[in-house]
Amino acid sequence: MKIFDPTAAASARPLGVAPTPRLGGVRLALVENTKFNSETLLRKLGDRLGRKYGSTLAVVHRKRSPSHEIEDGVVPALRRQADLVISGIGD
Amino acid sequence: MTGPAESASGDPVALIEAYYAAGYTDGLPVVPPTDKSIADTLAAAALRADQTLGEIPSRNTRVTADKAAINAVMAGCRPEYFPVVVAAIRGLCRPEFAYHGPASSTGGSAMVLIVNGPVVRALGINAGNNAFGQGHRPNATIGRAVRLTMMNVMNTRPGLLDRATLGNPGKYSFCFAEHEDDHPWEPLHVTRGFAAADSTVTVYASNSLYQVYNQLASRPEPLLLCVADALANLGTPNLKGFNESLVVLAGEHSEVLRASGWSRRDAQQFLVEHARQRVADLKRAARLPGEIVPADETTERRVFEAPEDILLVCAGGRAGAWSACLPGWGKKWTRSVTVRVEATP
Repeated sequence: MKIFDPTAAASARPLGVAPTPRLGGVRLALVENTKFNSETLLRKLGDRLGRKYGSTLAVVHRKRSPSHEIEDGVVPALRRQADLVISGIGD
Repeated sequence: MTGPAESASGDPVALIEAYYAAGYTDGLPVVPPTDKSIADTLAAAALRADQTLGEIPSRNTRVTADKAAINAVMAGCRPEYFPVVVAAIRGLCRPEFAYHGPASSTGGSAMVLIVNGPVVRALGINAGNNAFGQGHRPNATIGRAVRLTMMNVMNTRPGLLDRATLGNPGKYSFCFAEHEDDHPWEPLHVTRGFAAADSTVTVYASNSLYQVYNQLASRPEPLLLCVADALANLGTPNLKGFNESLVVLAGEHSEVLRASGWSRRDAQQFLVEHARQRVADLKRAARLPGEIVPADETTERRVFEAPEDILLVCAGGRAGAWSACLPGWGKKWTRSVTVRVEATP
């Protein structure tokens, strides 16, 4: 008798790893996911990076919700406007 | 077709144990699929094995018909149940359902499947006594097939991308039919633009279920005050922004609404106006941040924004003074989705 595999692996999507940026003077983007305190924490982080490395806050993008993917067109815009993007805040 | 991984002895118990050992089950024994049962299941929905039922882009996940069929057989579905399973999976994959949140959240949502239309009678899906409970094969296995597909195909495994703090028993299976013959209004799917003769599944994420009791109310107002209070209790996730919520009215309560002449909209509007909390109480309970100021004692905050945020459904036995509230998950980050069952037996 056979055992049938009911699983499916997530398809691999090639993602390049961005070179680690030098933090001195970078343009910073924050992607805020609407979780409670998300924007507060991200802005504090942005402030610290600014004080320590001289980065500038270029853009703060607010996602529709934590559940939704970032909207079409936002990633290319972030690429143009910023050198470093910070995201990923939980509760 | 399915890439059988290994063989086991002909002993059925050993075969079931092999599925456990492979990590393919939800904790209950599964029905070991065969080539024939998988083919019969696909045929019942007129699907090819490699057809895509849906995708979750944020997880790089694609659900194909063969994998869904294997999970449906494992869940104990008869082949003719499969079109309902397929419709539910398609609903989970719709962008507006926003799968990742309700599937992975600490809130531990059950995926509630509400079935409407002729398929209910054709398959014998229970809408009556014990509608949420045990004892009916289609209810038990259709919901289980969806959950097994979530685990095995959509990578929603407990402790990994299912981060439920407590979860709830509805995560094994939660499927029921609307009681269309015992309804004060038109059935749910008709309110969503489908014909009464269409068969549909509505997919809705809820992290709990509590029953609302009222044996004395003979008018809608006192009955719906109890429902509103249950929807707006201080511990409910509903308070954090305007959720969608499901209210299931059962027999005696349905009859109160029917006899009153209230429309569905009347009942929804009443609930919108009465599901509320004082800001001061929300702050005392630390459901809102900040110090209490005098105005908070007289300022109220509504739980719902609009009548359509409240899904009113009828199910359950005719006897008994019970209804149920099922809070929705996550503000308006996810919305219930109704999908047509494309092939019916």
